[in-house]
Amino acid sequence: MKLETRHEVRLARSDGSVAANLKPLVAVLGIFLCTGAFAADVRMSIEPQLISLLDRAVLKIEFIDTKGDAVDIPNIEGLRIQYQGQSSETRIVNMKRTSKIIHNYVVTPTKVGDFTIGPVTCKYKGGQKEVSAQLRVIKPEDDKEAQQISKIMFSRISTEREKPYVHEPFNLNMKVYIRDGVQTDGNFSLRGGIPETGMEGELQWEITAKEREERNGVIFNVYTLGTSARTLTAGIFTFRPEVQLNVVVPRQKRRPYGFNDPFFGDFFGRQETRPIVLDCNTLEVEVQPVPIERRPDTFTGGVGTFDFDVSIGPEQVKAGEPITVKMKISGKGNINQITPPTIKANHNLKLYEAHTLPSKNPNEVLFEQVVIPTSDSVTNIPAITFSYFNTQTADFRTITNGPFPVSVEAMPQQAAQVIATIPSSIRQETEILGRDIVYLKSIPKKWKKTDDTPWQRNRFFQILLALPLLLLAAIAGITAHQNRLASNVALARRQKAPRAARHSTQLAEQALRKGNETAFNEALWNALTNYFGHRLNLAPGEVTLQKVLDRVPTEAESLEKLFNTIEQHRYGLNSGGSSQEEMKALLQQLNTTLRKCERMKL
Amino acid sequence: MKTIFAIIALLFFALPAKASQTQSETFLMAQSAYDAGRYAEAATLYSGLASNGIDNVELHYNLANAQFKNGNLPEAVLHYRKAWYKAPRDPDINANLHFALNAAGAVEPGRSVFERLFNLLPQNEWVTIAAGGYILITLLLAFGMLLPPTKRTLFRTSLVFAVLALTALGGWWHWQKLNSNPEWVVVTPGATTFYGPIEGSTAHYKIPLAALVRQCSTNPKGWIEVEYDGKRGWLKKGTIKRIYP
Repeated sequence: MKLETRHEVRLARSDGSVAANLKPLVAVLGIFLCTGAFAADVRMSIEPQLISLLDRAVLKIEFIDTKGDAVDIPNIEGLRIQYQGQSSETRIVNMKRTSKIIHNYVVTPTKVGDFTIGPVTCKYKGGQKEVSAQLRVIKPEDDKEAQQISKIMFSRISTEREKPYVHEPFNLNMKVYIRDGVQTDGNFSLRGGIPETGMEGELQWEITAKEREERNGVIFNVYTLGTSARTLTAGIFTFRPEVQLNVVVPRQKRRPYGFNDPFFGDFFGRQETRPIVLDCNTLEVEVQPVPIERRPDTFTGGVGTFDFDVSIGPEQVKAGEPITVKMKISGKGNINQITPPTIKANHNLKLYEAHTLPSKNPNEVLFEQVVIPTSDSVTNIPAITFSYFNTQTADFRTITNGPFPVSVEAMPQQAAQVIATIPSSIRQETEILGRDIVYLKSIPKKWKKTDDTPWQRNRFFQILLALPLLLLAAIAGITAHQNRLASNVALARRQKAPRAARHSTQLAEQALRKGNETAFNEALWNALTNYFGHRLNLAPGEVTLQKVLDRVPTEAESLEKLFNTIEQHRYGLNSGGSSQEEMKALLQQLNTTLRKCERMKL
Repeated sequence: MKTIFAIIALLFFALPAKASQTQSETFLMAQSAYDAGRYAEAATLYSGLASNGIDNVELHYNLANAQFKNGNLPEAVLHYRKAWYKAPRDPDINANLHFALNAAGAVEPGRSVFERLFNLLPQNEWVTIAAGGYILITLLLAFGMLLPPTKRTLFRTSLVFAVLALTALGGWWHWQKLNSNPEWVVVTPGATTFYGPIEGSTAHYKIPLAALVRQCSTNPKGWIEVEYDGKRGWLKKGTIKRIYP
């Protein structure tokens, strides 16, 4: 701003040209720019340096007159440092220009104490520098809000099942208590606090309830978050997740930090949000192993409480025709980990591998197995047994279904029937798939490799692409040339000149070989007149020595000699008296002179 | 001499034919495993072909189907997308990709009018159209110059092909941008984007597992700036898997 003011004053005082006034200004600016280029520095600052537990500070790393990337700040116990992005600033004060790249971090304390942030190494163009900053976090007596934060907002984790078994799903409930009147933006995030090993899959938390609850005469809004957990191993599992939420704090109640605090979303707003990590209790869950004693042979991994149903169909078949056995296991537990119960093998029964059918109910699993009686002696499908570990009664339970009576007729062509009927079951499955994803594609006719060069990247194709353009350019060039010749007679005749001369000199050579001096002289004369007629754009009768010499003064001597000699030979002064050598010399001289003229710009 | 010819013939004809036969057998085995509900086995067989450098639309599509049925949604989306790059008009691929993204709860990549137009054809088809248009333009211009009476008509006609060729070039460029701004699939549950490419940066928004994101820029420390549902944020490289090339 000051720079502009001075500039205006200078213009007002001046009565000279604007350019003259700008010269010194440009020079001064150049000096400033050069000076600025050598003043690169990095600074770390924190504002304010003294805060209470409920406050937060803004840490800045400033790259002055240089550029640098954001720096990873090492973890400091008791401080949460979050990168907020970068901003830039250019100032011109007292004709001095300073530019800054500022990386902003929000520092949120989680305990009181003196903290040193850094030293961290900041790399910038041309060097590096270690910077650090000091922060003191206090819990002042008059800041009751800070003291009572854990009483205003907190979380509690619990489970209904204190001693679940391995693979048994158990519910975890997280209750988030927020005192009535405290505003949040409604978003929760749960971080850490989950055992790193032994858990099956990620926990997916969902808000299951929202209610109001009174505790010690204070009303709290209580959000209940729930998830289902399952472990892969036995042992003690400790849960203490951190719940982070964003609290909307009225700005005028907190300390002002300046307008460039990046945490403020709205410059003129009266509210701000700030992340708070809530206190949470520790939940220890003792997971018990599934006992090995008394484990039945038919145990297929089920842990929980289940029902087991079996149906078969058709019940009347011919030998070699398939019977489909459908098994349904439903209930609560590790339903997805249960493997299909087995049907006892029998030499009169051909068993195919059981496969899982899709089910819309998450608490049930469906298996389907194709069984083919190969003989009419089969009267039933054997009983099917499913064993699981009941977590309610802490013992193994076995459920048996069947045997299932079937009527099998004898069939002479059993093998052919078996092969013919199997695809029908596959077709049925294909139809089921059609309702969700479209079925597989058939085998490709030709195998393609990833390293196959696509035809459009083939070098030959790329070269071929240039051909039409070259052809077009050639045609355009020829057409333009023809048009030029058609519109410019002088140029057209200029281009004809050498050819016309060459034709006549060839005739002269023929005459020379035949010893016909008259024809030779005539041809030489024609060569001269045709050449200069075309070259100088003269009508046939206008080609005279004088006109030629006017345009070609540099070759005056040789041209004069040529014209005179040929003319003398043509009109009889020396006719019939020239020898072959003289004629050759004359032709040679003509050719040399015309070549010289051809190279000249006339 | 005969032995040399025999070896050359074996190298040029017999070995590739044998390899092709093995690939076909593996493909059919995978299909049988799929039909029998052994999706993991089918996925392994299809993946084996893909890791051997086979790059057919059918392979990626079937592999995606097997992965989907096997519960591996990110890999399913990845291979559906790979198949879609090669055949963007294929209704089966479009349907299954749409289905998989819906199953993941992911937003489909935003498609403007131009994107929808350029997605109609794969890159090689756009190149064909652009090259054809270019050749026709040059021929029409050449004939126009050689045959002056037809010059105006031919030049006007060439304008139509010029528009076509320019559109095709746009289509080519649309696909070419995948080299500099490739698409990635989220492979880590609960992937969260950050405001900056730095540990401890403020969390921005979450992206569902198997969602498709577009790379905007990268950071040498292993961060990638991605765009999802119109929002930009930084993700750690390990949380996503690149689709193309």
